[in-house]
Amino acid sequence: MVIRFSSGTLRTFTTLHTWVGLCAGFALFVAFYAGAITIFHHDLMVWQSPHAAEQPVGTLDDAQRLLDGTLARHPEARAWVGMMFPGEETAQPVVYWPDAAGTWHYATPDDPEGAEHPPAAALSELVNALHYSLGIPVAGTYLMGIVSLLYGVALVSGLVIHLPKLAEDLFALRPGRNFKRFWQDAHNVIGVLSLPLHVMFAVTGALLCLVMVVALALDPLVYGGKLAETMPAALDTAPQVQPAGRPQAPGSVAMWHARAQEAAKAQGLEAFEPVYLKLTHVGDANAIVEITGEAPRRLGALGAVALNAATGELVASQLPGRRDANHATLSIAYLLHFGEYGNAWVQWLYFLLGLGGAFLFYSGNLLWIESRRKRRQATQGKAQVWMAKATVGVCIGVCVAISAAFVAAQVFEARAAAWDVPVAAGVTWTCFTTWALCLLWAALRAPARAARELLWAAAIVTALVPLAHGAATGEWLWKSAAVGHTALFAIDAGALAMAIAFAWLARTTARRARTGEPNSVWAEPHSP
Amino acid sequence: MWGRATAGIVPGFFLAAALVGLIGWALPGPWQSTLVGGLVAFFPVWVGLACLAFAFRDGARAWLAYAGLAAAGLLALWWLRHLQWVQ
Repeated sequence: MVIRFSSGTLRTFTTLHTWVGLCAGFALFVAFYAGAITIFHHDLMVWQSPHAAEQPVGTLDDAQRLLDGTLARHPEARAWVGMMFPGEETAQPVVYWPDAAGTWHYATPDDPEGAEHPPAAALSELVNALHYSLGIPVAGTYLMGIVSLLYGVALVSGLVIHLPKLAEDLFALRPGRNFKRFWQDAHNVIGVLSLPLHVMFAVTGALLCLVMVVALALDPLVYGGKLAETMPAALDTAPQVQPAGRPQAPGSVAMWHARAQEAAKAQGLEAFEPVYLKLTHVGDANAIVEITGEAPRRLGALGAVALNAATGELVASQLPGRRDANHATLSIAYLLHFGEYGNAWVQWLYFLLGLGGAFLFYSGNLLWIESRRKRRQATQGKAQVWMAKATVGVCIGVCVAISAAFVAAQVFEARAAAWDVPVAAGVTWTCFTTWALCLLWAALRAPARAARELLWAAAIVTALVPLAHGAATGEWLWKSAAVGHTALFAIDAGALAMAIAFAWLARTTARRARTGEPNSVWAEPHSP
Repeated sequence: MWGRATAGIVPGFFLAAALVGLIGWALPGPWQSTLVGGLVAFFPVWVGLACLAFAFRDGARAWLAYAGLAAAGLLALWWLRHLQWVQ
C-alpha cells in the first residue's frame, strides 16, 4: 500500500509535528517517566513504610472499630466518609473524609486522630502528582490536559509524515555514521509500534484532565443545560438520596461486606472482594453505603454495589458484565489508562512502554537539534545549545529528582520524628530542589558535559535507592527475595537496573563527546 | 499556519461538539446513556478536526468551513430536540 500526500501537505505536517512536539515534549517526558513508576503506586506505599510488608492483614472488626471511632471523634465525617478495606492494597484499614473546609483527613488504627496525608503515601503521591500535573497544584492538571491534546496532534501529524514510508522503514534501524538516520529510525519504530497505546493515553489523558471543563462547555451547546442532573447517575453507582431526617442505626461493616458479596453472586459473580466503601449520611434512615470491589478474571474487574446502610437492602449496582453504557465506557477508559487489568505482566508492559514513550519525546528533542546542526563549524546556534541544555536539565534532571525522592522517602520515614519534619514535605522538597539544581547545572555547563555529569548523578542516586531502603528498614533486596516480598524486591532490583542503564548512557555520552562528530552540541573539543 | 491552527481550535471545538451531540442524540435510547461515551469521543474528534484543518488551502477557508458546519450542526441539533424527534 502506498499512500501519497502532496509535498506541501507533508511540509505543513512536519512543521506542525515540530511545533507541537516542542511545546508538549518536555511535559510528556515527565508524564511518561513518572507515569511508568506510578503504575506501581500501591507497591511504593509498602516500600516507603517501614515493615509494612510484615504487617498482618487487618480484620473487618479492625475496620469496624476504626470507622466507629472516626465517626465518634469527627462528626463532620458523618456526611461523607470513605474506607479502604484491609486487604491486598493496604494491610490495615484507612478511613478518609473531607472536613468543612474541604481538606481531606486520613485515619488508621495506628493514627485514629487522623492526618492530612494518607499513611506512607508521600512518595507515591508525589510521583503521581508529577505524572498528572508536573507537581503544579490545580493549574497543572489543566496544563497536562492541553498537553494531552497537543500530544494527539503530534501523533496524527507524525503518522502522516511517516506514512508514505511506514511499511518499508518500520523495522529499519540503521546504525552507522549517519546518527540522525539512526535516531529517526528509533523514534519512528517506537512511535509506530506503540501507537495504539499512545492514542489511548492521548484520549484518556485529555479526558481525565479536562472532562469537567469540556462537560461544562458542552452542557449548553448539546445537552440543553441538563448535565448537572444527569452526571451523578452516569458516574456514580449510588443514586443521590436526600436524608430522611429519621435517625436509624447503621448496619455493621461485616453485614455490608456479606450483603455486597451476596448481591454480586446474585448477578453471576462467584467472587467479589470489597476494596473500598463510601458511606453518606450515616445514622440517617436513608444512609447509603457504596461498596466497590474486585471480581477477579473479569474485564473491568472493579464494580460497585450500593446498599441502604441501615438495612443492607440493595439500592443499585454496576458490576462487571451488568453495567450500563456510561459505566462500562468509564470503567474501560480507567482500566486502560491505569493498566488495571490482567496480572503483573500488564503492569510491567505498561512500565516498559512508559519508558519507551519517554524515549520517544527525548529522541524528538534530539532530532530537532540534530536537524538544525551546523555541520561545518564547531560553534552551534544559540537555539540548538539551549534546546540541548533544556532537554538535559528537564529530562535527565527529573530522573535524578525522582530517584532522590525515593532516597528521601526512606531517610525521612526513619528520621522525620527526630527532625520534626513531615515526611511528605521532606520528600517533595528534596525532589523539587534536586530538579532545580539539575536545571541550573545544565544551564551553566556545556550540554555534552552536563548530560554526562547528570547521567552519572542519576546512576549514583538511583543506585542509592535500594541501599537506603535496606539500611533504613533492614529489608535488603536479597532478604525480600528470600522471604517472597516480590514487590519490594522488584522495586529495589528495578532501581539497580535503572542505575546500570543510566551509567551505560553516561559512558556512551562521554564516548560520543570524545570520538563522535565534532561539529555538534554533543561534542567536547577534540581533534577528529 | 496560525489561521488553520486557530480554525481547528475555535470553530473546530464547536464542530466537534455538534458532531458528538448529533450522534449522541440520534442513537437509539435516551441521550443520557451516551453521556460518557460522547465525552470520551469528543477529544479524538476535536483533535482529528484540528489536524484536518491543515488540509485547507488557507486559514480563512478553514474558519469559514468549520464555523459554517458547526453552526449548521448545532442548529440542526437544537431543531431536532425542539421538535422532539430525538431524545
